[in-house]
Amino acid sequence: MSELHEHRTPVSLKGLSADDPHLAPAARNPQLVERVIALTFVAGTLLMLAFGWAYWINAMPWKLGATMGGGLTFYGIGLIAWAKYLMPKGPFVEERHTLANSDADRDAFAAAIVERGGGVVKRRKMLGGLLGGGLGIFGVVAMFPLIRSLGPLPKSTLFHTDWRSGSYAVDQSGRRIQVGDLAIGSIVTVFPEGTQDSERGQAVDQTVLIRISNQDFTTQKGRETWAPMGYVAYSKLCTHLGCPVGLYEQQLQLLVCPCHQSAFNVTNGAIPNFGPAPRPLPQLPLYIDSQGYIRAQRDYHTPVGPGFWERP
Amino acid sequence: MTSTLLKRGSAYLFVAVFAMGPLLLFVGSAHASGSRPYQTTRKNAGTPNSDVVKTDSSGVVISYGNSAITYNAPSPALATLGQALFQQNCASCHGNEANGVPANGTGGAYPNLVGLGPATIDFWIESGRMPAADPRSVQAARRVARLNHQQAIAIAAWVNSLSPSYPGIPTPNLKIANVADGAALFALNCAACHTIEGDGDALAHSTYAPSLRNIPATQVVEAIRTGPGNMPRFTGNLSDYQVNDIVKYVTSYIQHPQNPGGFGLGGLGPVAEGFVGLALGVGLLALVGFWVGERQ
Repeated sequence: MSELHEHRTPVSLKGLSADDPHLAPAARNPQLVERVIALTFVAGTLLMLAFGWAYWINAMPWKLGATMGGGLTFYGIGLIAWAKYLMPKGPFVEERHTLANSDADRDAFAAAIVERGGGVVKRRKMLGGLLGGGLGIFGVVAMFPLIRSLGPLPKSTLFHTDWRSGSYAVDQSGRRIQVGDLAIGSIVTVFPEGTQDSERGQAVDQTVLIRISNQDFTTQKGRETWAPMGYVAYSKLCTHLGCPVGLYEQQLQLLVCPCHQSAFNVTNGAIPNFGPAPRPLPQLPLYIDSQGYIRAQRDYHTPVGPGFWERP
Repeated sequence: MTSTLLKRGSAYLFVAVFAMGPLLLFVGSAHASGSRPYQTTRKNAGTPNSDVVKTDSSGVVISYGNSAITYNAPSPALATLGQALFQQNCASCHGNEANGVPANGTGGAYPNLVGLGPATIDFWIESGRMPAADPRSVQAARRVARLNHQQAIAIAAWVNSLSPSYPGIPTPNLKIANVADGAALFALNCAACHTIEGDGDALAHSTYAPSLRNIPATQVVEAIRTGPGNMPRFTGNLSDYQVNDIVKYVTSYIQHPQNPGGFGLGGLGPVAEGFVGLALGVGLLALVGFWVGERQ
């Protein structure tokens, strides 16, 4: 404590005299400072007048802002300079009186509460119980928004999408994709028909449809019929954290996730060859019907998207 | 005795397990590069399934399209000039026949250009990517074009004369385009790689999506329709009208963004803006604070 006070001479304000050095201005040339401050105040006043004028003639917003902001800035600079250079230097130290009440006062207050109030509350057991119960229920109800903010239960969407046997692949506008629509190296995001405008379709069912060849394409053993005429389809949900994997590089044959740069090889069943994604993107088995529409053979064979507790 | 053996054995096991990782990676990458079907030649990109098809007296298509985009075949009269230019500027890699087989005979290293369509040839030359500064680089960068528009058209005319193909060189009709639809289509189809501001961003394996800030309307159509480099091609799933809308959006809002503060900060989004605001604003406030609190 004593170190803190080393440079600060405690001064009794009552005993100050006019020639006390603490009352002298901080600046070496107070007249000059005074003039400069006066100038800033004049500038601030002029800008304020300009602000009033600009408001009156309904000027551009930036003129209103510039005049008012400039005026306040000049006032601020002047005020700070005034306090800094023209006011007494200090430091002044004034002891503060104790804020707390005396022990006797506090004891008397506590006694008064217990004496007068305690008996009253004890005599109204039922009311007290009702109030307590109500507050307790309020506490429980207050949890509801918190639970609700977690969103709806995912239920079966964790395991199944809306792709069914025979679902038409439609684009964002609901148009069915036909076999002639995509050239080699093209990509389009598709949904099972009817879900393209739904939240669930956007969240769970979104699928990228890529044409990588003119002939039936086999990405992995056992998937010989899954990519007819070179149309391969993968879930658009990254297996890392569920970002939309929509960045298709057609020469490298990679699907890249924009969030953490996981790269999936389109030609071998979307096995990740870079990044944090732990699993391949699930592939959707397709077929082409007699009219040339792209349709799903069935749902994905594994859950889409990132991992979760109960994932098999 | 046994403890030394145990120690040594576990050390070997440790090393072996750690060596497996890189080894597997190496084997995996070798396998992957062997099976990757690179698409260097794509014949007849896009067919003229259009409202208006104009043919000359011998039945060759000279232009096709609709009220949104007209695709023109380059004039065959330019083919002679084009061949000469091709021999000077392109043949050392793409070969005298434009088939990707250079004079020394080893084909496969460079793309076969026959049947790619005039729009592809025009795009690569007029965007300055060809003739390539470094033919072995992963991705050709956009530069100031070395050949002018006429020369590019002439080369396209000659390559097209070897095997007439599509798409032709497009002329979008931006007067009928709808900017709002273009914005929605851009967000859906382009923003994933080029970012919603059109500044482009990094992709995988040292490749990147280039910025769209300074690209003429014709080249935007050409890129969408032909899919240069790693960009996917957008054919049947985007109509000419939709492409026209996208081009209008790119050449208006993307290339002339409205920055209310006058300082776009590269369109990197609220995080970058907040960072700059904090660094500048807090820095200035700190300076003011020092001045206010300073004592003689």
